[in-house]
Amino acid sequence: MADRAMKRRKVEHTPSDDEADDASFASFGDGEDETAQEDSMAAEQRALPEDDERSLHQERIEDDLDSETEVIADETSDSGEDVDMVDDEDDEHSAHNAVVSKQDIKAKQNRNTSMAKKQVPSSAFTAGTFKSNMFKLQVDELLAQIRPRRGKREEAVDQALHALKTTFDSMEPVAPLSVSEARRKLLTTSKVSVPFPSPGPPKDAKYTLQHAKPAGINVVGSYPLKTNSRTDTVLKVDMMVAMPSALFQEKDYLNYRYFYKRAYYLACLAAAIQSAHRDTYEVQFSDFRGDQLKPVLVIVPKAPQSSVNDEIKPAAKWRINVMPCVNLDVFSASKLLPTKNCIRNTEQSSDLKPTPLYNSSLRSDMLLATYLEVIHGVAGRCEAFRDSCLLGATWLQQRGFGSGIADGGFGNFEWAALIASMLQGGGPNGKPLLSDGYSSYQLFKATLQALAVRDLSKQALVIAPGNIKPVGDGSPMVWDGARHHNILYKVTPWAYAQLRQEAKLTITTLGDQLYDGFDSTFITKKKDAMTRFDVSVNISLPKRSSPDQPEDIRVQLARMHDVLKRGLGDRTTLIALKPTLPPPWQLGMTKSESRPRVITLGFVVDPDNVHRTVDHGPSAEAKAEAAAFRTFWGDKAELRRFKDGSITESLIWAAGEDGQTILEQIVRHLLAKHFSLVTEGVSFSAKDFASLLRHGARTANFQPLLEAYKQMEMDVRGLEALPLSIRHIMPADGQLRYASIRPPGVAAAGEKGLPAQVTIQFEGSTRWPDDVVAIQRTKIAFLLKLSELLQEANGGITARIGLENQHEDILNQGFLDIVYESGAAFRMRIYHDREQTLLERQLKDNNLAPSVKEAAAQALAKHKRDYIRRPAQTQAISRMCTRYPALSGTIRLFKKWFSSHLLSNHIAEEVIELIAIRTFVQPWPWGVPSSVQTGFLRALHWLARWDWRAEPLIVDLSGNDELKLADGQGMRTRFEAWRKLDPSLNRIVLFAATNLDPDGTTWTDGHPQRVVAGRMTALARSACAHIEEQQSALQPASLFASSLSDYDFVLQLDTGRKRSKAVAYKNLELAAVDDDTSIGYNAAELFLYELESLYGSAILFFHGGQERSIIAGLWSPGTSQRNWKMNLPYSTIPSKSSKEVGIMAKVNREGILSDIARLGGDLIESIEVNAR
Amino acid sequence: MVPVPPPDNVMPTKLKATVPISVNDFVVLPLTLPTTPSYPVDAKHYLYLRLNAPKLPTDSTPREVFCVNVPFDATAATLKVLFSQQLGGGRLEEVRFEGGIRTSKGIAAPLTQSRGKKRKRGLEFEGGGEAEVVEVGQLPQVWDRELHPGGSTAVVRFVDKESAELALRAAKQAVKSGRTIMWDTPASAGDEDARPLGSARYLAHHTLRYPDPATLQESVDTFISAFNAQDDARNKELARLRAVPDEDGFVTVTRGAKQKPAELVAEEAAERERQKKKRERKQVGEDFYRFQNREKRKEEQRGLVRGFEEDGRRLEELRARRGRMRVE
Repeated sequence: MADRAMKRRKVEHTPSDDEADDASFASFGDGEDETAQEDSMAAEQRALPEDDERSLHQERIEDDLDSETEVIADETSDSGEDVDMVDDEDDEHSAHNAVVSKQDIKAKQNRNTSMAKKQVPSSAFTAGTFKSNMFKLQVDELLAQIRPRRGKREEAVDQALHALKTTFDSMEPVAPLSVSEARRKLLTTSKVSVPFPSPGPPKDAKYTLQHAKPAGINVVGSYPLKTNSRTDTVLKVDMMVAMPSALFQEKDYLNYRYFYKRAYYLACLAAAIQSAHRDTYEVQFSDFRGDQLKPVLVIVPKAPQSSVNDEIKPAAKWRINVMPCVNLDVFSASKLLPTKNCIRNTEQSSDLKPTPLYNSSLRSDMLLATYLEVIHGVAGRCEAFRDSCLLGATWLQQRGFGSGIADGGFGNFEWAALIASMLQGGGPNGKPLLSDGYSSYQLFKATLQALAVRDLSKQALVIAPGNIKPVGDGSPMVWDGARHHNILYKVTPWAYAQLRQEAKLTITTLGDQLYDGFDSTFITKKKDAMTRFDVSVNISLPKRSSPDQPEDIRVQLARMHDVLKRGLGDRTTLIALKPTLPPPWQLGMTKSESRPRVITLGFVVDPDNVHRTVDHGPSAEAKAEAAAFRTFWGDKAELRRFKDGSITESLIWAAGEDGQTILEQIVRHLLAKHFSLVTEGVSFSAKDFASLLRHGARTANFQPLLEAYKQMEMDVRGLEALPLSIRHIMPADGQLRYASIRPPGVAAAGEKGLPAQVTIQFEGSTRWPDDVVAIQRTKIAFLLKLSELLQEANGGITARIGLENQHEDILNQGFLDIVYESGAAFRMRIYHDREQTLLERQLKDNNLAPSVKEAAAQALAKHKRDYIRRPAQTQAISRMCTRYPALSGTIRLFKKWFSSHLLSNHIAEEVIELIAIRTFVQPWPWGVPSSVQTGFLRALHWLARWDWRAEPLIVDLSGNDELKLADGQGMRTRFEAWRKLDPSLNRIVLFAATNLDPDGTTWTDGHPQRVVAGRMTALARSACAHIEEQQSALQPASLFASSLSDYDFVLQLDTGRKRSKAVAYKNLELAAVDDDTSIGYNAAELFLYELESLYGSAILFFHGGQERSIIAGLWSPGTSQRNWKMNLPYSTIPSKSSKEVGIMAKVNREGILSDIARLGGDLIESIEVNAR
Repeated sequence: MVPVPPPDNVMPTKLKATVPISVNDFVVLPLTLPTTPSYPVDAKHYLYLRLNAPKLPTDSTPREVFCVNVPFDATAATLKVLFSQQLGGGRLEEVRFEGGIRTSKGIAAPLTQSRGKKRKRGLEFEGGGEAEVVEVGQLPQVWDRELHPGGSTAVVRFVDKESAELALRAAKQAVKSGRTIMWDTPASAGDEDARPLGSARYLAHHTLRYPDPATLQESVDTFISAFNAQDDARNKELARLRAVPDEDGFVTVTRGAKQKPAELVAEEAAERERQKKKRERKQVGEDFYRFQNREKRKEEQRGLVRGFEEDGRRLEELRARRGRMRVE
């Protein structure tokens, strides 16, 4: 009976939790509330279920009996969900349930009945659940992968821990010795050098150092708490050894004395391990988390050959940190508040600056065991705590955060302690910010929310009663009042800024209904500096430090951060500093140098400001500020008078001085001025990617053409004698949306640029013929009239009618090339919307032959593509290019990449644009790219991971979330329908839909083929591998080169440049074609077109447009040897081998290549055949 | 340079094999192709010949030779030279190139498509008699010369049956004796009309693409007037049909001659839409009856369950595709 009740309770309990989940999703989804509101938020959330309950009760009373059926229905659907819920709750859950107090049970049952009654809310809610379901399932799977498990590695560690404990417990005490005596003795007897922090103890120190049996030994940190990830390559275990309180005097917290004694104690422990386990373990000193005050012992297993103790298997990868610590009662907590000074200088005792880092560093030693208890207590109380720690650890790891000072000082411990604290307090009236009932994902999200929303460097999060202010240098403060400790004392200001940015980004990602944010939250690694930062800089510091420099790296880094931040101002949105810390050192050695050798700087720039050439400083009248400005900038500061009459201190930067960007000049100047770092020591990685583009990435290059376009529109609209009035003139070309590889007007010698395509639509009229073919002819008549009128109206315009699509008379037959004297050229086609109706009618007509209908279908697709989609995409992209300054350059560089790898004749430029834009409108896990480098590399990163077999590309081009969840699902459904219809991907390989084009096949119907898409992915992957391998040494140009040996043959084209040099007599013909008429002439494209129509059935051609003047070819697998037939669509060699009966046909490769050579004639310089 | 895995490609199988003299009833005639500076390789092209045997023979069929896999740059002149100078010397009357085999590429070859659409289209008029088929209003040609895609066929008509047979015999003999037969390009065959290939061809195409406006105007005018005439004729015919009862005394119902102007049509559609909206407003709302609400809720619940199952399935798929979830 009791069993049944239990079960029932459980079944009912879980869905109610789920309901609560959703309530909080909704409130979290609101995103960036004001800081003030945040405090009350958690309280509200907890209050919410109760409120619901009350109102629902009332409802119930008012409602009639009819509801019974609904209850049943609800329960059945609930239990449907339960299957999952129950599955992943482990045994602990039911155990927990068993001990829940009676009152709780009652409350829960109460709530459950009301919840069962609760009606299914609006569709928005359903949508939310739908998404979070998928998300939840994925989170569950992830957790199952990373939860720690007990394996051989863990057993080995446990054995090692036991062995170490025995050794420490059996150590002989060492009598008090003077500092120098103790140091000397240890060095001579055990060859262990005491790792005193710098500055070292004074020679005449009056205190003594001694060793005594540890007061306690314990394992702390993530290992005993089971919050370490199984996938970590090295299992790290922290072992604390409590030093007996008797070793310390009351004032030992002052002037490093505690740390000297600690170092000596540690050295004694090291000596003991050394003598007892020399053969089993490798022992080294290391700074604990980069804190040079606190060295620890790092113990790793030795290579297996010399293992004495057979039971410990040293092959496993683990590491034990031995950390001496001290009891809580040794020093008074009030002396170690962040506001106190603990490093007294004998000379100037009047000016005592607080030493928060020193104090907290010491204080954290006293609290090691306490925090273990606290976190353990929380983990017992809140089931989801461990999982949320694992999620947090994964999240932090992917973003490169860690407990070490080099990694920012926010790691797994800080994460766990933060959640634990927020579960205990921090809310209004000291109530907890989070509730024990939260799920792991809720805890995770709430913690991120807390990090994102409140600026802990301005207003501290205080857990218990107490009033304390942050230090004020930008580092955060989470004050654990009960233990008088700032949990985040180690977190550096720049890491904190970065952390907040990341948290905000992730919260936005998780709030995005349209895309599944799971991968970008947990799976994608975003540590890589190249994709993360717009600019990264390596600084190698000179070996000798000048004596006046502060010893603590944290202080030094903070100074560098402040200088750079002040100097760069709003040019950057983030500055990250990452020092490379000295590695662990041998016991017998003294620590080499506490200062880092290399510092890596990363900048995220603000694309609007980074290129600014003039900085205005304070006005000349403000004497004090002007002086400060001058001292800061040195000789760069100039006093200038500006147009508006103001006289200010200012800085003038010249753009592009010897290839250095303005940012580089500023950084170099500041480093030289304030840190005497000369040019050789400072290296900027990866010169600007934008320089790979002709004339740079500025959109200004497109301005002349856009102005000409406006002029053209005015000219055409100004024509009065046109038979019909004009409805629209729309641009439909890459050149008119800042997206052509080369800016307009820049073309290879010998070739004129292609005219920019434009569509024109006239007002409707009944005088149009009602026949598709006749419409095409009528269009030509219109164009003839238009060209005549245009040339009459403006003498500077040349207008010519050209013909196209000769083979298919239902397609557009004529276009009008309009060329201005300035060289701007446009190709105008008439858009007539009746065509669509007529073609659709043909498609529906069952009396027509299939071939006619097929032609009509193709014509319809082309009609939509040319007259509807392309103008729409052109408008959308030019709008986005003005919105995202880095977009234009990214698109162009990305197109260049496709082109350089000979893919551009297969993949429509519009698809490339969509992939590039995806990186901007759906940038997770990064923010919106702010430079061409990050935009390009992230687009490439995504391309390499795009599984186009199973994933559609969906991009919102509206810029204001016009693409709704339902639309997105519609596109997905369409994609899945295509995959069902065409599972072998013969027709649709890539699926690219936008809010303007829900069909998703406009640009990809029939091309690229699967082989080509596969090659695209392979190229992107190898490019990403190359980037990861090279990191900051990357040469951007190397990403744009690929070997030609993969192709069967390569046609080296004779570029126009060479031909125009050989003036001889060939150019008689060229001369016949004067400048204007050669606009739009591109021999290579025409040649490729003919090759494809003549040999397309046997050869797959690859061409990169103007970027690479070659055409490469692969013999199609369809041309392999087969039985001879009369109607094979390629030139063959018949062959009869003795064994076989029939006559086989194989493709006549030499014959075809010889044909191609004759066809290309002077266009081909050489044909290279790759032997296989 | 980024290393790249080779794309999918079938490696050619190396088999020791000989070229047969004939295949099915075709003679296999190897032609030695001229070498070019960019590809100085002695390559052979294999032309298949036999007496023409179409399904529906005509009077001239016995005089014809059917050629398969014609070289892409073949012209009537080059084939004439081939047969008259190298293969027996039979005199040719005519060479007819047939459309290349449509490939699965989807890009129709513009070079081989016969231009010249028949201007007569639409209904066949009863009793109106077969309208005369004329090709008018064609747009100007934009290529100066047609080329043949791989595997194209041609029919060569000789002056008499003997010449045709002679040519085939000569071909057989030449193959047996191993005599080298050269393929002459139009230039070397002395075909003055054949235009050169290479950049000259594309420049010529570029020039031809932009025809003289006057020519173009004339072509379009002719087309449109022909089209209008046809349209008028059709309308008249339709009017007649409306008026005249057939032999059983019935009047055929046909589409009205007059079409409403587009604006009017649009207006009517808008009016219909308005009416519909009005009607809808009057109807009882979807949440009026309790059962409606209940149904809706149930539907939503089912949707939830479906969504949940869907998610489970998607995750399964994901797992199948990527294998175990791995943090990068």
